Amino acid sequence: MVKKEVEKLLKKVQKPARYTGGELNSVIKDKNSVKLRYAFCFPDNYEIGMSHLGMKILYSVVNEREDAWCERVFAPWDDMETLMRENNVKLYALESGDSLDEFDLIGFSLQYELSYTNVLNMLDLGGVPVLKKDRTSLTPIVIAGGPCVCNPEPMVDFIDIFLPGEGEEVTNDIVDLLIKHKEMGSTRLEFLREAAKIQGVYVPEFYNVDYNEDGTIKSVENFETAPEKVQKRIVSDLDNAHYPKDFIVPFIDVVQDRTVGEVFRGCTRGCRFCQACFITRPIREKSPEVINEQCRRISDATGYDEISLCSLSTSDYTKIEQLIPMLFDWALKENINVSLPSLRVDNFSDELMEELKKVRRSGLTFAPEAGTQRLRDAINKNVTEEEVLRTALKAFDGGWTSVKLYFMMGLPTETMEDIEGIADLAQKVVDTFYRNPNKEKGKGVQVNISVASFVPKPFTPFQWEPQDKGELLVEKQKHLLSSVKSRKISVSYHQSETSVLEGVFARGDRRLGEVIYKAWQKGCKFDAWDEFFDYSKWAEAFRECNLTTDFYTSRRREYTEILPWEIMDYGIRKEFLIDENKKAHESITTPQCRIKCSACGANKLNGGHCDARS
Amino acid sequence: MPEVKKWAMDVRMSFEKTGMAKFISHLDTVRLITRSMKRACVPIWFTEGFNPHAFLTFAMPLSLGFESYCETVDFRLMEEMDLDELAKKINDALPVDITVKEIYVYETSPNDIRWAEYKIIFNNPDKVLLETAKNKLSSDEIIVEKKAKQGRKKVAKEVNIKDHIKSFELSEDNGKLILDTVLSSGTSININPMLLIGALVKNTNTDEQDVDVIKIESYTQNMEVFK
Repeated sequence: MVKKEVEKLLKKVQKPARYTGGELNSVIKDKNSVKLRYAFCFPDNYEIGMSHLGMKILYSVVNEREDAWCERVFAPWDDMETLMRENNVKLYALESGDSLDEFDLIGFSLQYELSYTNVLNMLDLGGVPVLKKDRTSLTPIVIAGGPCVCNPEPMVDFIDIFLPGEGEEVTNDIVDLLIKHKEMGSTRLEFLREAAKIQGVYVPEFYNVDYNEDGTIKSVENFETAPEKVQKRIVSDLDNAHYPKDFIVPFIDVVQDRTVGEVFRGCTRGCRFCQACFITRPIREKSPEVINEQCRRISDATGYDEISLCSLSTSDYTKIEQLIPMLFDWALKENINVSLPSLRVDNFSDELMEELKKVRRSGLTFAPEAGTQRLRDAINKNVTEEEVLRTALKAFDGGWTSVKLYFMMGLPTETMEDIEGIADLAQKVVDTFYRNPNKEKGKGVQVNISVASFVPKPFTPFQWEPQDKGELLVEKQKHLLSSVKSRKISVSYHQSETSVLEGVFARGDRRLGEVIYKAWQKGCKFDAWDEFFDYSKWAEAFRECNLTTDFYTSRRREYTEILPWEIMDYGIRKEFLIDENKKAHESITTPQCRIKCSACGANKLNGGHCDARS
Repeated sequence: MPEVKKWAMDVRMSFEKTGMAKFISHLDTVRLITRSMKRACVPIWFTEGFNPHAFLTFAMPLSLGFESYCETVDFRLMEEMDLDELAKKINDALPVDITVKEIYVYETSPNDIRWAEYKIIFNNPDKVLLETAKNKLSSDEIIVEKKAKQGRKKVAKEVNIKDHIKSFELSEDNGKLILDTVLSSGTSININPMLLIGALVKNTNTDEQDVDVIKIESYTQNMEVFK
């Protein structure tokens, strides 16, 4: 329930329905009848946050309990923030309208590094001290999860507890423990001591980090109840893991506004640049019956007219040929569209193609990631040019006329020849279209190349690699533009300064907390948004802290260097990553997990079991 | 070829959009009603083009920020149904603040709407606003600035809306100023109350955004309630 003083502000802002709450399926409880109040915060705007599956799952996990109430909080857009600050309105949760400082547990989802300043801004707007050291009572406890937590070090000044891995089970553990300590009237330290004993709970204040003169880490020492390494949590059996019975249906158009069926976690591909693959292992699949049932239930409860399947590399789902007809059986009758994202070129069967023709078709997206076979081998993207062209031909036969090709720039071992390869491959896709005798008459083709800047990430074989500097990336972008000769091909890319910052925080250490704090004080927020990103403020913050971005991004790290994220154990063996790194430099590929297990080590998290080996 | 009617009933649903629902825009309302129909498993007729979609006709779009007691949407049912039961079912599938009043077989067209009645509440009026508003509303000319297009260019046009104000009544309640008024409404001429509000608060110290607008009723040419 939005309070009266907020309602006045809503008449003056864009998209006021971002701030009202009251959406269908949002959960309202009596705050006096619960023992713990949990504010789930997403450090980006409503449209982005409401699209996130993890939030939907955890919202449902907590609200299924009678003794706790989970509410949602998003970063207000600039216009709303200004009005809130002018009128002394604190950031509030959408369900109760109560401000953040009234909550026991405040949880942030750290999905991307460039959302860090929003975490600080939201705490501040909510009346909660931004710095951990200034929060002295038992509650609120500020926790964080999500992929960025695999290296949480830059954020340790602001967050009390990090939860690496999957949150379904550990969230309940933390909620149980905090309820117990609230009832006992414990101190903050007493609670944190007990929390640190739970598997998958990282309490950063129980670790001391010492540095060498060159800025690298000299030693990490754990004390109190903290383990030497924190092992991430996973859910072992996805079929029986908690999944929401409904989704909140937003009033306004959000990015992902549809039924989502999660099909598996982990990835068998082992592309060496991809962090998501390695930090979500081991592979665990859901059975098609369970997915079908979950999609059905959510569609009924929401009225959504679209279903999408969610996982990394969805077409690798081994039972996709069983699942798709199951979904189509009821969905098409009810005018519900089924869309399949992130299809890989190398397993597009004729049957799947026929099924896909039945539904409204969106554009076709391939991710060759690199322009030449040599570089694709180096990054272990096991896709050949011939496969890309063969699939494109099949797609053109099926009536597609628009193709999107995803590439990366700044990959390790990359040369200008590889950049030209991007343009060449796109040109060959165009040529394939015009050589196709079955193409629809009078139609042209549009090939869109989208190029992202590569950022080396923790727990990947490229975690030791230097990141291309901004000037070099700009040069490569120019070279790509001059290599494209056809008007059928369009190129889009991102500005390189955001990649620098992303790279710094991805592999950063504890000293960066001060930089983030200073940048936020200078007004940095929504750094992932071009209209807000201001690199000059960041540059000032780095200067004032006597730190350089180059130290974090442009340096090749030795295999022997102590890396800030080595406090975390994501199951992946360091020796495996070193092997993969060496093979990359020799352009030697590693077969995907279902062909041959390469002993990454992640199966130890699941009692030695991995679905790719079953 | 004679057209075969593929649906069983043409019906109109009247509903209220109040409270926080005033912050849901027209387009978002359309989507919300569509989804609610689906949740309630209402067998509505879908268009038969390449992208079949639920066939819904809203009488008049309501501006963002306005409440209304008199919204309507027309749709087609694939089978004969008890309309009171249907209303109850759809109501259960709607969020709070949007409430179905009635579902009925209609005889009028949204094109028959000619007037709309609004209650306009100035929450924090300037002391002089009552007097100024009275004078302005009683004069022969009420000039407002209306945004218009001239070719591709957007221009501000001065328009006299006096003839589009059918009636008005001013009253005071607990420091608030309340204006009940009937303005031109419909597909050919439509006067947004914000235009009138802008004209009334001009040169007074009143925040035009601190005003509540509630649409009370729509009328036909002869001032019969649109149903």
